[in-house]
Amino acid sequence: MSVSEKRLWAAWSRFLTGLVGAILIGFLVPILVVVAVSFQSKSYLSFPPNDFSLRWYQQFIGNDDYRSAILNSMMIGASAAALATVAGISTALAVVRAGAPGSAIVSALSIAPAVLPQIVLAIGLFPISVWLGLQGTLWAVILAHAVIGLPFPFITVCGALTSYSNRIEIASMTLGANAFQTFRLITFPMIRPAVIAGFIFAFAASLDELVLALFLSSPSTRTLPLLLWEQLNFQVTPEIAAAASVILAVTSLLILAATLLPRLDKDN
Amino acid sequence: MLQMVSRSATTAESRAAGGAAVSIHNLCKRYNNFEAVVPTSVEIASGDFFAIIGPSGSGKSTLLGMIAGYIDPSAGRIVVDGRDIVPEPIYRRNIGMVFQNYALFPHLSVAQNVAYPLKIRGVAKDEIAKRVRESLAMVRLEAFASRMPSELSGGQQQRIALARASIYQPSILLMDEPLGALDKNLRDEMQEEIKRFQQELGATVIYVTHDQQEAAFLADRIAIMRDGAMTQIGSPRSLYEQPKSRFVAEFLGEASIFPIKTASARQADQTCRITLEGGTEAVIRTGEDGGPGRFACIRPERITIGPKARGLANSFTGVVRESLYTPGSIRYRVELKDAGCLLKVRALPQHNTEVFETGSSVDIGWSVDDMTILAE
Repeated sequence: MSVSEKRLWAAWSRFLTGLVGAILIGFLVPILVVVAVSFQSKSYLSFPPNDFSLRWYQQFIGNDDYRSAILNSMMIGASAAALATVAGISTALAVVRAGAPGSAIVSALSIAPAVLPQIVLAIGLFPISVWLGLQGTLWAVILAHAVIGLPFPFITVCGALTSYSNRIEIASMTLGANAFQTFRLITFPMIRPAVIAGFIFAFAASLDELVLALFLSSPSTRTLPLLLWEQLNFQVTPEIAAAASVILAVTSLLILAATLLPRLDKDN
Repeated sequence: MLQMVSRSATTAESRAAGGAAVSIHNLCKRYNNFEAVVPTSVEIASGDFFAIIGPSGSGKSTLLGMIAGYIDPSAGRIVVDGRDIVPEPIYRRNIGMVFQNYALFPHLSVAQNVAYPLKIRGVAKDEIAKRVRESLAMVRLEAFASRMPSELSGGQQQRIALARASIYQPSILLMDEPLGALDKNLRDEMQEEIKRFQQELGATVIYVTHDQQEAAFLADRIAIMRDGAMTQIGSPRSLYEQPKSRFVAEFLGEASIFPIKTASARQADQTCRITLEGGTEAVIRTGEDGGPGRFACIRPERITIGPKARGLANSFTGVVRESLYTPGSIRYRVELKDAGCLLKVRALPQHNTEVFETGSSVDIGWSVDDMTILAE
């Protein structure tokens, strides 16, 4: 490599570093602003904040609407993620291991909820939910969130299954284990890190979801993002920033867990 | 469920006495229009070491997969000790299998891997511990019980796979190119190990490989597969010395093979005179008709080179076209004078053996029993 080429590469790598830095800053700054704004005493969103107060957090904790919304979000998130994970594992096994006919289509359909506009899904799910008599119940949102959560466990488990040969499972069966024992003792322990990661991502996706909740929930099944949305339309106080910061903290912890837990699991 | 487990455990014990006889009847496998295995029948005696060799795509692994149970036959029966196992699911066949890439469970320790089949069969904990120790001792890896498979070398992993596939004393042990992923030296060592292991275990072994030397070293009988069919089955010696086809003669060892143009009538002493393409005439002893359209075949070590060749029934002069000294043997290619036939010759060097240089003129010959006739 000539000297001028080396210089070109150095300049290019500086440019890329700068670009990545700019993207990260563009991503982090609004988050930091929300957090900063939540720790002030003024009753409007003022930036930069010039004092420190937990006033809005106190109000947030004392607010029954928020409390029930958080509870709803947790229940919906956990149930939807569990459903999505079971469905994701089954679909991934069918696509990767069984090589069933039409597995390319099944695969595309399982990933689709992650890329299709959620508004389309919402418009379609609304009449179904009414028809099934689920409209306004927790189940309507749980099922809808299971659909949008499906791509995460599906993708992570597909990745785990393709990372080792099915010879391992065939070996287990020649050694006397039936399909169920083979799944329990061999397949599941090997894909467990992917299952955990997929579950957490599906949970986080449900926790952040607004559009489907907007269509499918009722005042009694209101989720946290939905409540924030309603509050924003009604009045903008730093209490919203406090609530948003809490969502942010929980989601960050989940993502941290999704990266760390599988690694810990693998070490054992 | 519990009953089922304990019953299969007792079947394992009762069969442990030795290997099972396997008899395969018209077993075949078709994929759409492709016949991976044509209807094949073969009898494998109890305790036999039976090797299946052939080029890749010849159907040998498909055949093994059907016996193991992870490939469904299109038709045919596999009878083990008088019972057709084709309808049985893979996990009830009680057959041990060793794979090329070991297929050890990466999340389980060596001891847990070896214990797995016993755990599945509901064997008591102390019994499992005892038998895992014995089994690891048999492959001389007792010290590695608590290691993970990824911490072992390829050869060690394959020994663990061997221990795991045999701890429940299956009456049949299948091996699919078990040494294929190992380097040459380790392969030789493992061959000895496998042979010893089989003798101790007494199981019937069906062993797939593409390495003819490995098969000849290990097996009592070898089947050579080509295009989904077993073209010839026999002991390593009979396959080498009496190949029936050009394919077998060339697949197993080296050979010089010539089309036969004409053949005389068979004489009283079972010999006949044949003319090879190029005009060379030879006298051979034959049980069959050495008619045109067939081939004459001679192994390189059956050809005598040097002055000793003069008195033989078939004696020629030739020119050395290639001369190569390799450890243990001297290899030549000799062209017969006025005929253009090129013969592969292998001589065993003694301390006073003359090495002929390329271009030199030599006597070359063989007796009536050294050439064989190939039917196709």
